[in-house]
Amino acid sequence: MPILILADHDNASLKPATAHAVTAATKLGGDVHILVAGRNAAPAAEQAAKLAGVAKVLLADDAAYEHALAEPVAALLVSLASGYSHVLAAATSAGKNVLPRVAALLDVAMISDITAVVAADTFERPIYAGNAVATVQSTDPVKVITVRTTAFEAAPATGSATVESIAAVADPALSGFISAELSKSERPELTSARIVISGGRGMQSGDNFHLLEGIADKLGAAVGASRAAVDAGFVPNDYQVGQTGKIVAPDLYVAVGISGAIQHLAGMKDSKVIVAINKDEEAPIFQVADYGLVADLFKALPELQQAI
Amino acid sequence: MTAAAIPYTPPLKEIRFVLDHLAGMAEVAALPGFEDASPDMVDSILGEAAKIAENVLAPLNRIGDVQGAKLGGDGVARTAEGWGTAWQALVEGGWNGLPFDPARGGMGLPNLLNTAVQEMWHSANMAFALCPMLTQGAVNAVQLYGSDALKDLYLPRMISGEWTGTMNITEPQAGSDLAATRSRAVPNGDHYLVTGQKIFITYGDHDLTENIVHLVLARLPDAPPGVKGISLFVVPKFLVNPDGSLGGRNQVKCVSLEHKLGIHGSPTAVLSFGDEGGATGFLVGEPNRGLEYMFTMMNHARLNVAMQGLSIAERAYQQALAYARDRVQGKPLGWSEGQSKGIVNHPDVRRLLMGMKARIEAMRGILYTAAAAVDVAHHHADEATRGRAALLVDLLTPIAKGWCTETGQQLASDGVQVHGGMGFIEETGAAQHQRDARITTIYEGTTAIQANDLINRKLLRDGGATANGLLDEIAALGGELSGHADEALRVTGAELTAAVHEARQAIAWVLAAAKQDPRLPAAASVTLLELMGVVAGGWQLARAAKVAAERLAEGDADTAFLSAKPLTARFYATHVLPKAAALRATVVNGSASVMALSEEQLFGAA
Amino acid sequence: MKILCAVKRVVDYNVKIRVKTDQSGVETSNVKFSMNPFDEIAVEEAVRLKEAGTATEIVVVSVGPTQAQETLRTALAMGADRAILVQTDVTTEPLAVAKVLKALVGKEAPGLVILGKQAIDDDCNQTGQMLAALLGWGQGTFASKVAPAGDAVAVTREIDGGLEVVSLKLPAVVTADLRLNEPRYASLPNIMKAKKKPLETVTPDSLGVDVTPRLKTVKVAEPAKRQAGIKVPDVATLVDKLKTEARVI
Ligand SMILES: Cc1cc2nc3c(=O)[nH]c(=O)nc-3n(C[C@H](O)[C@H](O)[C@H](O)COP(=O)(O)OP(=O)(O)OC[C@H]3O[C@@H](n4cnc5c(N)ncnc54)[C@H](O)[C@@H]3O)c2cc1C
Ligand SMILES: Cc1cc2nc3c(=O)[nH]c(=O)nc-3n(C[C@H](O)[C@H](O)[C@H](O)COP(=O)(O)OP(=O)(O)OC[C@H]3O[C@@H](n4cnc5c(N)ncnc54)[C@H](O)[C@@H]3O)c2cc1C
Repeated sequence: MPILILADHDNASLKPATAHAVTAATKLGGDVHILVAGRNAAPAAEQAAKLAGVAKVLLADDAAYEHALAEPVAALLVSLASGYSHVLAAATSAGKNVLPRVAALLDVAMISDITAVVAADTFERPIYAGNAVATVQSTDPVKVITVRTTAFEAAPATGSATVESIAAVADPALSGFISAELSKSERPELTSARIVISGGRGMQSGDNFHLLEGIADKLGAAVGASRAAVDAGFVPNDYQVGQTGKIVAPDLYVAVGISGAIQHLAGMKDSKVIVAINKDEEAPIFQVADYGLVADLFKALPELQQAI
Repeated sequence: MTAAAIPYTPPLKEIRFVLDHLAGMAEVAALPGFEDASPDMVDSILGEAAKIAENVLAPLNRIGDVQGAKLGGDGVARTAEGWGTAWQALVEGGWNGLPFDPARGGMGLPNLLNTAVQEMWHSANMAFALCPMLTQGAVNAVQLYGSDALKDLYLPRMISGEWTGTMNITEPQAGSDLAATRSRAVPNGDHYLVTGQKIFITYGDHDLTENIVHLVLARLPDAPPGVKGISLFVVPKFLVNPDGSLGGRNQVKCVSLEHKLGIHGSPTAVLSFGDEGGATGFLVGEPNRGLEYMFTMMNHARLNVAMQGLSIAERAYQQALAYARDRVQGKPLGWSEGQSKGIVNHPDVRRLLMGMKARIEAMRGILYTAAAAVDVAHHHADEATRGRAALLVDLLTPIAKGWCTETGQQLASDGVQVHGGMGFIEETGAAQHQRDARITTIYEGTTAIQANDLINRKLLRDGGATANGLLDEIAALGGELSGHADEALRVTGAELTAAVHEARQAIAWVLAAAKQDPRLPAAASVTLLELMGVVAGGWQLARAAKVAAERLAEGDADTAFLSAKPLTARFYATHVLPKAAALRATVVNGSASVMALSEEQLFGAA
Repeated sequence: MKILCAVKRVVDYNVKIRVKTDQSGVETSNVKFSMNPFDEIAVEEAVRLKEAGTATEIVVVSVGPTQAQETLRTALAMGADRAILVQTDVTTEPLAVAKVLKALVGKEAPGLVILGKQAIDDDCNQTGQMLAALLGWGQGTFASKVAPAGDAVAVTREIDGGLEVVSLKLPAVVTADLRLNEPRYASLPNIMKAKKKPLETVTPDSLGVDVTPRLKTVKVAEPAKRQAGIKVPDVATLVDKLKTEARVI
């Protein structure tokens, strides 16, 4: 049986998260369909159709779906679900909002935030804030799943699926959209950012932090600092990461010109991936770094800015 | 500069163990009036108090140290950033009223439970916790000795914490020697006019509350000289109208705040009373019995200051432990794959940490046992039982105050040592504990004054009967454990028995020496106090070890926690209890040499 | 308006959990438990609505073992009026909890149900949505603001790109996010009063709900340990590794 993915999109474009969910879906064995429920959402559907591994895109274009409200979107998914073995979505705020509602309406358990597909009915998912990984198996006829995007690559945009329009189903009319306030360009907050790039005393001045900021903006990263950098007045003290500053655990932590004192490590050692750029190959930061680059930061940072 | 917050995690499991198995929480809860202190209620209360300690008070500890209390241009002492909000949290939570009369807004819960809460607050922020501690002491004094009018007017708001209380004893010429008290009170209609200067008054002025209720020692015009001529007065900062609203400013002036070695967050005030004729004061109880009343406050305060020794040690220990796991220096001896390379695995660092852990558990045992005895002494239905408990409290108070504060200081210093050079650096925070701990052996009567109390009032007065009675009990436990199958318990039992023997000899010598020369017991007093503290600590650890072994035998699954108890007891038995022999030797052989040099020789031209 | 809140007893967020050696789960004996932090926020919100005069009664429900009574007492101490323990020793899945709650909603007829957005043990983030589905009610998940007005409630939701405001017809289900409020500390008098507030114990059976898990937990393992790091020769290699190996950019 085919697999249905609920697309995450803003009508005008598809969110990258969906491409990661597609990769998870391709591991389940079965044609992959994507549902784009929106209003004037043809552009998003077109992008979905380009994802490699996608067989068909269903486009439900209706005013009821404009803001991806959980109630009408879930009703639509439920009407389609009987033809599918799995219903998936990326574990974004939209996917997490809708899919449990679908699962309950189908009277099936739901599996949140999977990080690996063990078999078509068996999955790994982190529990206890990632301090343990559970492997769970479902016997339900339809498996409803959200996918942790960082655990699966994005499917490339090399496909060409067909887009099929489908009709809206009755809107339960339980909720209405009032407004949205989207923070677009601003850098994310240090403690919740997925990527943090921090500078230390090696940055030499506050001006040089622009070298980090350019990269941060490209990666959607927050900028942090060591205490030495804060003490030297390069950046304000709310940038400080460490024992006496902020504790962060992003997916990626990049330490630039930071020696790796234990007080600094205390604030970032739980990061998923740690990168260190330091010109001293003996710097203790390399002991915790997954990827260490021994280099002069003034040379490495501009290169990095180019390369990403 | 932003001050860093060093975390504190209330040791709820240890606290619960001591409450249940050493202090007898269940027996205390069975006393008349304490029906509410059921086990689940105790859990709820400790859990919530722990949250406040950890999340509200602990983060302000460093801020208080760095910013300190400062005297504003308007003569009002200002506490550090965030302290007002924290006080408000205690008031809104009703925490101040925990042990007090429900009829006056208190919660009517046991002193024992209050003790556990106070432990956490002192650990979290000792400079802050002094304020509720002194307020509770002041409530006790007014509650016990004040007239109904005074109680009606002052207690509800002191119990709620809307107003705080102070203890005004010390004067420039009257510190340890209260007989030298000079402040005066002259009758004036329904009140008295109080004049004089008090120094070192903790929370003598502050901006946490709208009013402060000072309890002041002063002399009436016709009072006999010495300590028998001191009376106790309530002197509010703002006068209180009969309807409870605030009236005019009383003549109590905060002249200055001290610059101190530690507890920077706690304002220590010089207070001047009656600069323009006399501050309005109200007599508490009967004339000339002030010192006796004040001792009610002081005994409460002495056990609480003893608690500060425990609390500060616990805080220092937690910090040292965390550091020792992270700090790497070389490969520890005998290190094996899978072990942490932190300095925690260097045997000497471990020795320091074990020394802290064992002594902390010993102190907690002593203090909670004493706190439970306070409840029994006040609430038990049987008079004889009350009397026995009161004697135990009387005996344990100077021992606890002296030994726990001296030990707390030593452990705060050990905490610095574990940190190496980082310990000496202020930002680390370990040094603050040592600076804060330093006051505990001084205020509420120095260690020497505690030791005098132990000798003069607790040993000589009854010929050592109470002390030897306690030693009998400890010896029985030692004897029982000496034959135990478990090696750790056996060693603990044997060392405890030996230490009790040393203590008996020392006491016997002191009793005899007192008849020859009163200076001999005085010279021996602090050493004897330490000896008694060492033995009392061993007693508590042996009790804990015994309970733990019993529980394990009964199949309690918490093996990691319980099996640590006998091992910790054995550490104490082999590292601390052997000091008893040396202390006895000093008492018996060394007391005469204390005063051997003439004063001239001491000062003499070398 | 009556508000129903659901609270879960979970391993305290400060506890560093350990996986059992037989991989059957995580070690839960002798660890500290407390109320799921998101549920604490949910209860706080209900109490604030009551203090504001919007709510008239707060009923808290916990589905779990006997010890969950402590969690309910905590909620009562925060200001809830009445508690129901749905006693079961089964490890309940969100769907089962949602069904239990649905049954109780049938009896209690609340105007609003507030839950935490997720429990910090299983990290599912499902129960509120499922309950709303089963009841046929609107849902306001990940709420950072809740403003009832008349027969509707405006909920500000934290979504990936920022904030969104939706309006829900009442009755409705709201799930609380971290920034909704800062829960209060229970006062001592309230802790003591909580003991005297009614706490009723029922079973899933008596509500006609089958709470048998649907999912089988095959095993619970430690997360992969941090691999020994490597040195990369240049920026290009670094970027490549981050993209293809670590997949973090
Ligand atoms: C109680 C206490 C609490 C503390 N809390 C914190 C805390 O919360 N956070 C924190 O960060 N620190 C904290 N510290 C300070 C900590 O001990 C270190 O001093 C600090 O982290 C050092 O910062 P740094 O690595 O930027 O500076 P340094 O140790 O001076 O390191 C600078 C690094 O930059 C490298 N470098 C220099 N030039 C270049 C270049 N051109 N290219 C590449 N690399 C270069 C050098 O090789 C060196 O490794 C605390 C200290 C104490 C005592
Ligand atoms: C920070 C701080 C807060 C305080 N808070 C308060 C408060 O709130 N209210 C209050 O009333 N007071 C307070 N005090 C005062 C405190 O109680 C006294 O400082 C203490 O009792 C010691 O008195 P002293 O300073 O006069 O020392 P002294 O009595 O001069 O003692 C000096 C030394 O002589 C020794 N000594 C004195 N007499 C004897 C003796 N008979 N036998 C053996 N040795 C003796 C002492 O042990 C000490 O070693 C505070 C003090 C400080 C520093």
